Amino acid sequence: MQKRALIDRIIDPSETTLAWLLLTPAIVFILLIVAYPVLSLIVNSFFDIRLSRGVPVRFVGFENYLAALNDAMFWRAVKNTLIITFVTVPGALVVGLGLAMLANMPFKYRGLIRLSLLLPWALPLAFVGLIFAWFFHSEYGIFNDIIRRIATLMPSLGWEPQIWFNSPSLTMMAICIATVWKTSSFMALILLAGLQTIPASLYEAAEVDGASRWTQFVEITLPLLIPSMLIALIFRTLTAIQSFDIPFSMPGPGEEAQTLAMYIQLNSVDYLDLGYSSALAVFMFMLSMATTFVYLRYVRGGRD
Amino acid sequence: MRTMFRTIFVLSAAILLAVAENAFAEQTTTRLKVYIGGQQRPDLMRELFASYMAVNPSIKIDLEIGGATSDLHQKYLNMVLTAKDTTLDVFLIDVVRPAQFAAAGWAEPLNAYFGSSTALEAAMSHYLPAYREANTIDGKIIALPAFADSMFLYYRKDLLKKYGFQPPTTWPELANMARTISAGEHNATLQGLSFQAKAIEGTVCTFLLPYWSLGGEMLRDGKLTFDAPKAEAGLAMWRDMVNQGVAKKNVAEVGTDDTRKEFQAGRVIFAVNWGYAWNHFESGADTQVANKVGVAKLPAMDGGKSVSCMGGWNWAVSAFSKNKAASAALIRWLSSPETSKQLAIRGSFHPVFASVYEDQDVTKAIPWFADALPVVLTARPRPVTPMYKMVSDALRINTNTVMAGVKKPSEALAEIELRVGRAVR
Repeated sequence: MQKRALIDRIIDPSETTLAWLLLTPAIVFILLIVAYPVLSLIVNSFFDIRLSRGVPVRFVGFENYLAALNDAMFWRAVKNTLIITFVTVPGALVVGLGLAMLANMPFKYRGLIRLSLLLPWALPLAFVGLIFAWFFHSEYGIFNDIIRRIATLMPSLGWEPQIWFNSPSLTMMAICIATVWKTSSFMALILLAGLQTIPASLYEAAEVDGASRWTQFVEITLPLLIPSMLIALIFRTLTAIQSFDIPFSMPGPGEEAQTLAMYIQLNSVDYLDLGYSSALAVFMFMLSMATTFVYLRYVRGGRD
Repeated sequence: MRTMFRTIFVLSAAILLAVAENAFAEQTTTRLKVYIGGQQRPDLMRELFASYMAVNPSIKIDLEIGGATSDLHQKYLNMVLTAKDTTLDVFLIDVVRPAQFAAAGWAEPLNAYFGSSTALEAAMSHYLPAYREANTIDGKIIALPAFADSMFLYYRKDLLKKYGFQPPTTWPELANMARTISAGEHNATLQGLSFQAKAIEGTVCTFLLPYWSLGGEMLRDGKLTFDAPKAEAGLAMWRDMVNQGVAKKNVAEVGTDDTRKEFQAGRVIFAVNWGYAWNHFESGADTQVANKVGVAKLPAMDGGKSVSCMGGWNWAVSAFSKNKAASAALIRWLSSPETSKQLAIRGSFHPVFASVYEDQDVTKAIPWFADALPVVLTARPRPVTPMYKMVSDALRINTNTVMAGVKKPSEALAEIELRVGRAVR
């Protein structure tokens, strides 16, 4: 009797059962490609796995985590990652908003502007890093060339060409400029989509009420753009925390501008210390999760 | 009807035959995949493999080309071999890596592929001793030498002659000559000395050259021995080159091939570089220095002796290869005096056999190879340890930061000691 009922349920499932059945392939897929690697990462972080030493794998508990907390190179990498995040995320938002407003203006060559917005976004990150590394090269770079020209025209300014990659702070600046250039077009694309959902009637009504352009921007555009901004910010912040390609292609002096992702790569791919690098990656994972959590709270809070 | 059956029969027989033949061919052909770096003359290697395949028709060799620097080359191998991937059969490894490959169990020990232990000893005795030893870890032959390399002092013969100088024997002497020539030439773009201080593998040698010259050692029997005053004197010598204007201010941006390009463009009087540069200087497409290049032993520190840094690459068989015997046979051929001679004549790769340096065809093609042998023989290996990359990073990162002016030599030395200590612990 029970068997019969089970067969009935499969042949003629209820709404809920059907829903679960249809979702199963997706759930299995997600477990395989998301949950499994994350779990295996967490498991590895509790072991001593150093392939290049040829020593047997052994369980070490929280040793890898404690080692990280006492590792000055780890803290420098965290500091650099946070600097890049706090500079380039707002930077890309401001530049991206400007670009989106420009691309949203009704003029003849708008299509061209929109197309050129895609260009930095379509370039691979490593290319951007290599291109900007050349831009900032002390002998052949375009930035020093401009500085030299200005210095010749206006000697009173006292400008001097810099050896950018000899200084940790100038290197960080160069990395941030390259990152903002690369990522603001992605911001602009999402914000442009947001701008286009704002009904024109709102602006017309504001015009009738005699609101200035600035008031319209502050009172209509900005508030209605907040949902798009939050989505763009979540993506941008997460990629900033994972910054690798651009800083990797623009090495400053020594490892002074190393980011967390670069330090993980060094320990895993170069030193083959998979236990320690897994623990570092778990730190980065927690950082990303915390960021997403804060943003999501804010999105929900905004909706209520 | 009957003809139709016959047609079908004949057709199916033909198909069966074709399939069988194919399967047979699959069985007798062994495909080997060889991995080399972009700077190791893939064009030349392809020709070598073609001549091997012509004599061994059952072998089919595919070439995979990796990164152009030793670091990028190794990153790829690290990933492929960590995953125990079976696709690569044979690869080139840098002379600094056999210890790591032995510890990780990535290279098939080659001892068993020589037949007998007397045959093994006989074969190994022909190699230059330093290369034989670099590839033998705890009695296991991890790889066979492909070609040797050393750092040399390249100089502008024409400029030194003009000012009546002989090649310098000490670094301060070199600095004086460079200053005299620069002052006399009135050429703002002419640098005295180009050497490498970018955070690359070659910069490990930049650190070690003056340190070794003063008699310093890095590791003895796997234990860290570090002579801080000698290291500090070495770094100070390089810093002085920049402070005196002999080397340029942005030397921390200069890598091996930057030095090669600057010298080739005629903008450098003295350059520290590896063997490969000579071919570019003499016959590079846009060279400004053809027939103006001299090669000499590297200068010594005041009161020290002349040393060079040992380089070179070696052929290894992957421990995960499915065709180990065929791979071992291939690399024994690749590591033979005949192949070494070809590589020397065609690509100015340094031979790994003393006899090849004196071969008439070789000295005719590259006259200075006869004088190169003593340099190659006295070149010193970088510290041998499975954790080589950590030791290398400690040295190159700190040399780079000192040359960039970010760290004082004393701070850098403290960090070197800490990080090397951590690596060999």
